[in-house]
Amino acid sequence: MMYRPVIRYYPLLILLSLFMLFVLLVLHVAVGSVAISPATVIAALFNQPVEPFQHIIIWDLRLPRALIALLAGAMFGLAGAILQVVMRNPLAEPEMTGATSGAVLFAVLWLALAPAQTAPGPVLPLVALIGGLVGGALVYLLSGRGYHDPVRLVLTGVLMSAVLRSAIAIILLLRQEVIGTVLLWLIGSLNGLVWTQLDILWPWALIALSLGLTCASLANVLQLGEESATSLGLNVTLARLGLFGVAALLTTSAVAVVGGITFLGLLAPHLARRVVGVDARRLFPFSMLVGSAILLAADTVTQTLSQPVSIPVGAALALLGAPFFLYLVWRNAS
Amino acid sequence: MMTPSLWQRKRGQLLLYIVGSMVFLIAIGLLSLLPGTPNLSLPDLWSILNGGGTPLARLVVIQLRLPRLALGMLAGAMLALSGGLLQDSLRNPLAGPELLGVSAGATVVVAAITIFHLPVLLIAIPWLALVGGLTGSSVVILTMHRMGDSVRLVLTGAALTALLNACVIIFMSLGTQNDLNILFLFLVGSLANRTWVHVQLVLPWALVAIPLALLCARPLNILQLGDDVARGLGLPVVRVRLLILVLSTALVAAVVAVCGPISFIALLAPHLARRILKTSDARVILPCAALLGAVLLTAADLFAREAFAPQELPVGIWTTLIGGPFLLFLLRHRLGKKRGAL
Repeated sequence: MMYRPVIRYYPLLILLSLFMLFVLLVLHVAVGSVAISPATVIAALFNQPVEPFQHIIIWDLRLPRALIALLAGAMFGLAGAILQVVMRNPLAEPEMTGATSGAVLFAVLWLALAPAQTAPGPVLPLVALIGGLVGGALVYLLSGRGYHDPVRLVLTGVLMSAVLRSAIAIILLLRQEVIGTVLLWLIGSLNGLVWTQLDILWPWALIALSLGLTCASLANVLQLGEESATSLGLNVTLARLGLFGVAALLTTSAVAVVGGITFLGLLAPHLARRVVGVDARRLFPFSMLVGSAILLAADTVTQTLSQPVSIPVGAALALLGAPFFLYLVWRNAS
Repeated sequence: MMTPSLWQRKRGQLLLYIVGSMVFLIAIGLLSLLPGTPNLSLPDLWSILNGGGTPLARLVVIQLRLPRLALGMLAGAMLALSGGLLQDSLRNPLAGPELLGVSAGATVVVAAITIFHLPVLLIAIPWLALVGGLTGSSVVILTMHRMGDSVRLVLTGAALTALLNACVIIFMSLGTQNDLNILFLFLVGSLANRTWVHVQLVLPWALVAIPLALLCARPLNILQLGDDVARGLGLPVVRVRLLILVLSTALVAAVVAVCGPISFIALLAPHLARRILKTSDARVILPCAALLGAVLLTAADLFAREAFAPQELPVGIWTTLIGGPFLLFLLRHRLGKKRGAL
């Protein structure tokens, strides 16, 4: 799939989108049950004197949530971009590879079975990572020869997701008291996230995002196809496995904090590819930015629209992403 | 077409199959009626069915265990029939109500009724579920270019299901904590705590739809030959296919309205029946699949009741957990082939 880049001058594009991201961030912080003007938000962010209660709302409640959305969106976006390149599969998405549901399963298992006094904090991403790797390996093994056929891999992924999700349901039913807390997390939600969760997320995000970005040129070689990559001296299997591992790391650590958000990893890279083309060195960073922007915007919109109750942002993303997925399947057919 | 010679060749096998599944069904029936609290013996059961027995035992057997068993058999048969109808009419091994958006469409409707406490008569719920299911399946069918491409059909269904599930989640976040737990139990599909009221709700649908489904065997056989041949034989392909689709949706909608979306019975039972009997003649497969569906669902329900006793897990979980991998295993060769040859 070749798209002609819309904006030729890449650094300018990045600068522009970083600025957009900042605007979105300010808007995200400004919107809520207590409306705060964007000017006040900017003032508070740059440590100018503002009303104490506004300072508390901005710094202690809304900013961490916005930052988590920023990081998690970037992680999902990059993971999706890596997966699509590695599998040469426009439909690839963390959920479809079994990584997301595996991670969710293990995380729920951990939350339900671990003794209550141990803090779930730093261990949770690790547990989710193991789960994601197990889920990914399961789908890989089960799809066998069909792994590089876009549609067939996704089929196995869809079926396995159903199976893993029913395993999650078993745990939830055995531990009915956690249903309420876990259910919204299953579809992905940013509700009630504060600095504690951000502290869990950022080290993983730092490691995984930089790992993913350094893999860009490797991914470019893989994009040429198996034969060409081999003749260029690349161990294709090993490279694929490594990139897959990085994608799993990105997905699972984000899942551990914000829950099983789907379709973001599908949407972001596709939109990014429209703008910057297929070169992974440009695609990867830009997918990150697009992912962050989508998650921030989606969360802002759902928060505004559903003021008294809080609809999880994952549901809104599914409403947005499922038709897009349909469109991709449909276009792939014709 | 089943010529006399085919009938003669298959007669022994068929008889064996029918007797075998009857034996299974009776064994499962006894197992689900007898043990538990109170623990009954065969003579006890006999006297209860003849109007004797202690009041408590009578209550438990007649009001609790018997309707559950009956509902399991009905639902299993209906789901299996609907799967058989869809698979043959779309010539697609993966066509099942849960992968076509039928179950999801019906579920959204029922979820909306549960959460918003809509003033709907109990008897009207299957009708509304039917509307939801038909909407779901028609979206999937309409977006298809070629309905024979099974994998793409499933993907479209999966996307639609994700969309509808998102709607359900949004409903859930609008509901109270209590509704949430009820809905969660409903969403995985369960036969627990169903009484004769529920059986009565499904029964009319079963009485109408099951014979109609069995009557479809002949057009199904013709549809299996491909659209061109079927048209050449004088079958109005589009109209018949639409009719069959509505029929199978009706079968599923009634089940979903009462038991929730129980997955994979509809996909598995026809495949298993075909594999066991080594034929794809719909006149044989449809009734046999229905029988098998009843066996599978009641067996799964028995397992759901006993596996983690006294805690009971909904049967829908087990059918997915066991049915999903099993389906992948069954179809591994067909999926391994080049796409489009499915």
